[in-house]
Amino acid sequence: MADDKRVLLKIQGLKIEGYSDEKWIEIVHGVDLTLHRGEVLGLIGESGAGKSTIGLAAMGFARDGCRISGGSVEFDGMELTTTPESDRRVLRGSRIAYVAQSAAASFNPAHKLIDQHTEAPVHYRIRKRMESQEDAMELYDRLRLPNPREIGFRYPHQVSGGQLQRAMTAMAMSCRPDLIIFDEPTTALDVTTQIEVLAAIRDIVDQFNTAAIYITHDLAVVAQMADTIKVLLKGDEVEEADTVTMLDDPQEDYTKTLWAVRSFQRPQKSRPEDETVPIVTIDNVDAAYGQTKVLEDVSFDIHAGMTVAVVGESGSGKSTTARCITGLLPPTKGRILFSGEELPASFRARSKDQLRQAQMIYQMADTALNPKVRISDIIGRPAEFYSGLKGAQLKNRVDELLDLIELEPSKFYSRYPPELSGGQKQRIGIARALAAEPSFIICDEVTSALDQLVAEGILRLLDRLQEELDLAYMFITHDLATVRSIADEVVVMKEGRVVEMGPKDVMFTPPHHPYTDLLLSSVPEMDPNWLNTVLEERGVDNIGEAART
Amino acid sequence: MNYFVIVYYALLIGGSCLAAYFKRREIFLALFSLTLASFVMGIVGGQDALWAVSIAAGLLALAAGTAYAFREFLVIISGTETAKALRTAPLTASFGMFVIFTYAVLGIFAPVIAPFGEAEVISQSFAPADENMLLGADQLGRDLFSRIVYGARNTVGLALVATMIAFVIGVLLGMVAAVKGGWFDQLMGRIIDVVMSIPGLIFALLLLSIFGTNLIILVIIIGLIYAPRVFRLTRAVAGNVVVMDYIEAASLRGEGMWYLIRKEILPNSTAPLIAEFGLEFCFVFLLVAGLSFLGLGIQPPTADWGSMVRENATLISFGEITPLIPAAAIALLTVAVNFVVDWMLFRSSGLKE
Repeated sequence: MADDKRVLLKIQGLKIEGYSDEKWIEIVHGVDLTLHRGEVLGLIGESGAGKSTIGLAAMGFARDGCRISGGSVEFDGMELTTTPESDRRVLRGSRIAYVAQSAAASFNPAHKLIDQHTEAPVHYRIRKRMESQEDAMELYDRLRLPNPREIGFRYPHQVSGGQLQRAMTAMAMSCRPDLIIFDEPTTALDVTTQIEVLAAIRDIVDQFNTAAIYITHDLAVVAQMADTIKVLLKGDEVEEADTVTMLDDPQEDYTKTLWAVRSFQRPQKSRPEDETVPIVTIDNVDAAYGQTKVLEDVSFDIHAGMTVAVVGESGSGKSTTARCITGLLPPTKGRILFSGEELPASFRARSKDQLRQAQMIYQMADTALNPKVRISDIIGRPAEFYSGLKGAQLKNRVDELLDLIELEPSKFYSRYPPELSGGQKQRIGIARALAAEPSFIICDEVTSALDQLVAEGILRLLDRLQEELDLAYMFITHDLATVRSIADEVVVMKEGRVVEMGPKDVMFTPPHHPYTDLLLSSVPEMDPNWLNTVLEERGVDNIGEAART
Repeated sequence: MNYFVIVYYALLIGGSCLAAYFKRREIFLALFSLTLASFVMGIVGGQDALWAVSIAAGLLALAAGTAYAFREFLVIISGTETAKALRTAPLTASFGMFVIFTYAVLGIFAPVIAPFGEAEVISQSFAPADENMLLGADQLGRDLFSRIVYGARNTVGLALVATMIAFVIGVLLGMVAAVKGGWFDQLMGRIIDVVMSIPGLIFALLLLSIFGTNLIILVIIIGLIYAPRVFRLTRAVAGNVVVMDYIEAASLRGEGMWYLIRKEILPNSTAPLIAEFGLEFCFVFLLVAGLSFLGLGIQPPTADWGSMVRENATLISFGEITPLIPAAAIALLTVAVNFVVDWMLFRSSGLKE
């Protein structure tokens, strides 16, 4: 880090209002923030805490339907809230850059990466086109993208997600800004890809002595990246301290609960001694989408009352396995057995009772619940459909189910899904699955779209329900922390094959299959030196390759 | 120079100054460009031209006032949810609603409102307007005003029924195609392509000359001709809904196709379909009027705006505006429906967020 320690960004008493229901409602209540040159500040908090809004306000920008209503944003001696929009626009892109959560959505799919990269420097006349292209290639090299001289000439869909996120970072660097705002840049990535991007971002910020605001909800990630951490809750600052102090000695109760989130772990159950028939058996299943083979020779068992976690990167065939079990994608080879009885391959051929036995909970509760149907009907329909309940009986059953998922029946009975929070929607999704009285539930990434505190609540709920109702879970996830807390057995998948499987305690103790090892070591830990240690172990230069092999 | 001209310019310039002072840029630009245009018009057309401008402005203000008052009226009488939506309606939309409301009243209470029967001959042909006949008489000496009132019932009612038939067929087939997919989707798509490739009016003429100009047949044919467009829209809208997880959840539950369409897909595609209903209604309405004008639609002596334009067309050469009155009735309803539809389209696209 250089000696230049002047204050770059100073935000004081920042207030932001959002427009809803024909009123302006304050969503950020006076936040202060000071950032020196070359410093990285981590902003953490749950969704709705105002992280992104503050990040954007640092550029003097407010989203549609929001406005900065008070306070000051001073960037390098310039007051952004009173500067005309035209001057602010020059500042953005040239001196302040923004890296969004989804690089795939932020790149224009119709232009080559390098053309999008050179757009800003050429526009602001910082560099000529050819110079800027040379510079882009150098940045790609520094960010350890493969083939730095050629990759820029590809279109966004021709490179992987992790590479795209790094190209986005390179683009943000194209004008050598003084400040970059990273808004959850690795949230959408697999752990193995995340580690590459994290290392690349940290290096480049170091090399150019750029100041950065790093917005995330993942504490372990922020511990690697930030010099200081600021915790936010509902538009208010909870506390701020340098990273080491913050991790070792948090002051506020809220911060402590955030830190403790990953502590939930339930005792592991083992298979029953006598050879009972497993509730679900996947027997040598192959599956394909058209000509592309996606599953090859997948077999594993799920026993009653147990949780089997299926882990792997995206594209490893986890969700496809679930689609084979539910019958949405009939396997090309192999059988699916339910309590020893073979199921018809397609769900259309299955009986009502067979369909009832296996239920599913989806990743995105937003798309899994019909926004135009009342909660009472969403939950009531399976009960009505399978058990033929009607009238008062049906209402009692719905109330009972709402009680079961810890939502107050009188409050939620006649509401619509868009009126609920993410965690509440996911609970409704669980209740809908339970309404069928199943013996087996597939949980497809049920917590990955939720904040950590909310996710923990859902995991605890699922665990309690398993105890009470003796359910078997197939838990699809890429988050190993979730696996650690809830699984009894673990199945590791890669490229459509089962790489390794066994009870959780065995799987989490070495020796591992090399791929399992890679997955496990890529999970960020709260130790601020974790990233350095891992990179050292793997050898910094070939981290990219290490993650791909 | 008389007082009228002085007051005219004084009002315009005063208004522009006020607009400029309160920084209402659009109003200022409109008023001041009108002032400049008035200088030219005043020199070329004299005082009469300025009178015409004032009357047009007065009518516009009257329409705006009516629209505003009607919106407030609707907001007050409707429930909270609807009122919230209505408050966002622009003046054009509430003007459209007012016109539609008026037509509906005319159509429903036609026998009460019309002073004479639709086929009643009360005077000589082409009699001019007097205190007895508000708009004069038509080519057979029937009261034109009464016929326009009855025409609202016949023409609009027919168009409404035909549009509904088009929607029932189109929405049903479109939904089934979206849910079932595969060969059914392909087959329906190609049949629809064939129907759409034949120009609507010519197809209608052809079918009507085969089956005769019976009212029921007319309605069914028009419904069939317009169903393909509804089919295409429905299939596209439902196609976006079918891929949602909640549809997957429902079909994994073992729900039948009818349940999926009725309970899961339809509630999520109503907004664009209602907007399309308004648009289609205008087209159907114009087709009915066009067919009547050609003599193949509603048969005399039933009053109908399209045939009224044709029957009185000879009067045009005598400089009378009588044949243009039913034409204006058609135009006004079309414009009004489009105003409302524009607002609905805006809402349905804006509500996605």
